[in-house]
Amino acid sequence: MLLEVKNLNAGYGYLQILRDVSLQIDKGEYVAIVGPNGAGKSTTMKTIAGLISPMSGSVVFNGEDITGLSGSAVAKKGISFVSEEMNLFVNMTVQENLYMGAYTIKEKHLKNERLDFVFELFPRLAERRKQLAGTMSGGERKMLAIGRGMMSNPSLMLVDEPSFGLAPQLTTSVFASLDVLIKNGVTILLVEQNVTKTLAVTGRGYVLENGKVGMEGNSADLAEDSYVKKVFLGV
Amino acid sequence: MSKHNMSDTVTWLKSAPGLSIVISIVVAVAATIDAGPYLLVNMVVTGGMLALVATGLTLMLGVLNIPMFAHGEYFMIGSLTAYYIFTPISEFILEHPDSWLVTFGPFIAILGALIGGAIAGVISEKLVFGPLRRRSTDNWVMNSFLLTVGVSVLLVNLHQLIFGADFKGIVGYWQGMPISIAGAYISLDRALAFIISAVIVALFYLFMTYTRTGMAIRAVSQDITGAEIVGIDIEKIVMLTISLACALAAVAGGSLLFMYPSYPTVGLEPLYMAWFVVILSGLGNILGAVAGAFIVSLLKVITMEYVGAGWDFVVPSALIMLILIFKPSGIFGSDVRGVLDK
Amino acid sequence: MDTTTNDLNMNLFDRVLDKLCLTPIGLAGLILLLLLPFIPPFNQEYMLRWLIYCGFVAAMSVGFDFTAGYINIVNFGYMAVAGTGGYTSALLVINAGLSPWIAMLAGGVSSAVLGLIIGMISLRLRGIFAACLSWFFGLAVMGLATKMVWLTRGPMGLRTPRLFETESNFPFYFLIIILVYLIYLICKWVVRSKMGLAFQAIAQNMDAARTSGINPVFYRVFNFTMSCAIAGVLGGFYAHFYGILTPDMMHTSKTVEILAVAYIGGRGSLWGGAVVAFPFIFLMEIVRSTLSHLPGLNLVIYALVLILVMIYYPGGFSYFYDTHIRQPKNRALRYFLNGREAKA
Repeated sequence: MLLEVKNLNAGYGYLQILRDVSLQIDKGEYVAIVGPNGAGKSTTMKTIAGLISPMSGSVVFNGEDITGLSGSAVAKKGISFVSEEMNLFVNMTVQENLYMGAYTIKEKHLKNERLDFVFELFPRLAERRKQLAGTMSGGERKMLAIGRGMMSNPSLMLVDEPSFGLAPQLTTSVFASLDVLIKNGVTILLVEQNVTKTLAVTGRGYVLENGKVGMEGNSADLAEDSYVKKVFLGV
Repeated sequence: MSKHNMSDTVTWLKSAPGLSIVISIVVAVAATIDAGPYLLVNMVVTGGMLALVATGLTLMLGVLNIPMFAHGEYFMIGSLTAYYIFTPISEFILEHPDSWLVTFGPFIAILGALIGGAIAGVISEKLVFGPLRRRSTDNWVMNSFLLTVGVSVLLVNLHQLIFGADFKGIVGYWQGMPISIAGAYISLDRALAFIISAVIVALFYLFMTYTRTGMAIRAVSQDITGAEIVGIDIEKIVMLTISLACALAAVAGGSLLFMYPSYPTVGLEPLYMAWFVVILSGLGNILGAVAGAFIVSLLKVITMEYVGAGWDFVVPSALIMLILIFKPSGIFGSDVRGVLDK
Repeated sequence: MDTTTNDLNMNLFDRVLDKLCLTPIGLAGLILLLLLPFIPPFNQEYMLRWLIYCGFVAAMSVGFDFTAGYINIVNFGYMAVAGTGGYTSALLVINAGLSPWIAMLAGGVSSAVLGLIIGMISLRLRGIFAACLSWFFGLAVMGLATKMVWLTRGPMGLRTPRLFETESNFPFYFLIIILVYLIYLICKWVVRSKMGLAFQAIAQNMDAARTSGINPVFYRVFNFTMSCAIAGVLGGFYAHFYGILTPDMMHTSKTVEILAVAYIGGRGSLWGGAVVAFPFIFLMEIVRSTLSHLPGLNLVIYALVLILVMIYYPGGFSYFYDTHIRQPKNRALRYFLNGREAKA
C-alpha cells in the first residue's frame, strides 16, 4: 500500500471539517475523491500534504508515518501537491518555476532530465520557458502547476481541482496530461467537481459528504450508483 | 532586432524608473561640475552604504513581511563590533607597524561586524519574531512592526547601558596616501568602503538570482504555500533571511566606522534613509533598492551642499512624500505592492 | 430581561455616568487621581511633575489610539504633530502677546491643519505606507524646527511663559487630569456615535466600506484631523508647562513612548492607555531617577514590556481586563466594574 489514511480528523482552528476519513491507495492507482462543495475534499488533500496538521488520525506513506509533518517534509518524502490556487511563483519564469519544483533534487542532471520530461509532456511550456508565470493565461498556469508538481519525480501526486475555472477544451487537455502521468507509473489522487468526467477516467473513487466518507468503490460502479447519480449528476 | 531594442530603450527612458535614473545622473554630473568631484565621491560612498542597509530592509519586507523599524540598530551593532575588534588591532599595529594586520586588520573588523550582525539577527528571530509567528499571524504586518519598534528601543538603550553614550570611533582603517582620481582625492577608507559595499551587493544579487538557496528565498517571498509544497523548509529560509538582512546592515556599519562612530542612536539616520529608499523604489525589489539608494544619497548630498547641513532631514522627506502622493507604489513600482496591503 | 424595563431601572446617577462614558470604577479612579496630590508622598512638587508627565502621556495615548485603534493607521509622527501645536502656541504668545490659553487652542488648530494635510495625502496609502508617510512628515517638521533658528531658536530652545503664573505644579496637575478626561470623553462620544461604526468598517476593509455606502475619505480625514488637533492642544500644554520647548520633543523616540503606552494599554479601548500611563510612566520615572547611574535602564524595561505584550498579549491591558476581571460573580462588584448594563 502506498498511502493509508486512517480515521483522519482535521480542520481550521476550532472548526472541524474532516471526521474519521479513511482511504487507501495502492501504487499505480488513479483514485478520485468526489463530493459536493464544502465536503472536505480540499481539506483532505491539504492535510495529507502537510499544510494542515490533523487533530487526530494517521497518514502512512510507503510504510512510514508522516502524520503532522510540515509541508516541506512531506514533499521530501515524495508526495507532490498541485493545489487549487496553484501557488505559482508569479515573478519567476516558467523554467525557474519548474526548477523550483525540483527543489528536493540536488543533482543538476537529474533536474534537467525531469525538465525535459515535463517539456515533452507540455510543449506549450517549452515554448514559454522565459515567460513570467504571472503573465500566463489560466490554462497555461494550470499546466505549469502540474508540470511543477511532476518535477520532483513524486511517487504520489495530489491534484486538487485541475479543471477549476478552465474552458472545456483546456479541461480535456489537462485530463489528457494526467492520463500520460498514469501511464508513466505515477500514482494520482484527484479531487474534482466534474463528477462525470472524473469517474470516467479514474479507477477507484471515494465519495465525501460532510467531512465523512459516504461511499467507496470502483469508479465505474460509483458512476452507475443511483444515489450518486441522484445527488451529483442530477439524474 | 536592433530597431526593436531601440524602441524598448526609449520606452524605458520614458517610464518612471528610466526618467528618474536619467534625471539623477544629469543632476549628479551637473552638481559635480559645479561643486567639485568630492560631491560625487560622497554620494557614491553614502549610496553604497545605503544600498546595503536598504537591500536588507527590502529582504525583510519582501520575504518575511516585516516592516523593520530596528534595522538601523543592526547597523549600530555592526559598527560597535567593528570598533571593539579594531581597537586592539590598531594598538597592535602601533607597536608592530610591519605586521600583516596593517592591511588585513580592518578586513577582520569588518568581517566581525558581518558575523556579529548575522548572530544578532538569529537571536532576534529566536527570541522575538519566531515566538510571534508561532503565536499568531493575525494582523501580522502591524504587530511585527510594533515589535521591531520595541527591539529598536531595547537595543539602543542596551547599548547606552552597557557601552555608554559616548562616540566610539576610529581615525581611520587604512593609513596611506589618498587615491587621486580625476583631480579628486579619495581616502583609502572611503574607496575601500565603497568597493566592499559594491562587491557585497553584487555577490548578494548573484546569490539571489542564481543559487538554489537564493531562489528559495525569492520563492518564499512570492508564494509561501507554493514554497512549502515544493519542499522548501520555511523555518530555515526565514532564519537565513533575517541573518542575511541583519548582516548586510551590520557590514555597512562596520565598514563606515571611520565616518559614523558608534553611539546608541547612530542607526537612526541609516534607518530612515533606507526607508526613503524602500518607499521610493517600491517594495521587494532588490535592483530597485540599489538604484534608489544612490538617488536618495544624491538627494542628501546635494541638499547638504546647496541648502545646508541639517536640511537633509527636510528636503528628501518632502520629495519622497511628493512621490508617494503621485506614485504610491514607488518609482520602480512593483507587483509585490500587495504584500503590505494585508 | 426586557431592555425597556432595564432602562427605566437606570436611575439618574447611572444615566449621567453612562453619558459621561464612565463606569463606577472609572469614576472612582478619576476621583482618586484628583485626590492624589493631597496624599503623601505624591504631594511633593517633583512627584507632581512626574504625574503631570504621566497625564500628558495618558492624554496623548488616548488621541493616538483614536487613530490607531479605530482606523488602524499608526500616526508615527504624532509627537511632531504635538510639537507643531506647541511651537505655534509658544510663538503666538511670545511674538503676538496672546494669552497662553487662547494660544493653546490655536496650537490645536494648527495641528489640525497639519493633520488634515497628512490625512489627505495618506488617503491612498494603507497600513504601513501611511505610517511611513506620517513618520517622514514628522521628521521633516522636526528638521524645520531645528533649522529655522530665526524663528524657533533651534536646539537652544524657546522659552515660553507658563499657563499659571505660579511656581507650584498643582494647577497644572488638575488641568492635565481634566484634559485627559475631556479628550477621552470627546473621543468616546465620537466612537459611540454612528461614526464609530464607520471607522471600524474602514479599518477592516476600505473597499468593502466604500461599496456599502460609507465615504472613507471623509471619515479617515476627520479621524486624522481630530486626533491631530488633540495632539496640538496637548503640545500647547507641554510648551506652557515646561516653559522650554526644543525640537527634541518631536523626536521619533517620543512618539514611540506614546505608542508603547497606547498598545500596552490595549488598542481600540481609548481608556487602556490612559489607565496604564499613570502607574507605568510613574514607575519608569522612579527607575530613571533612582538608578540614574544606569542611564537607559528605564527604556530597556519599557521596550521589554512592549515586546512581551506584543508577542504574548497583543490585546493589551484592556483585553486582559475585559476577559479576566470584568465579569465577576458578585453582583455589587459587577456593578462597580461595569455600571448598570443596558442589557442583561
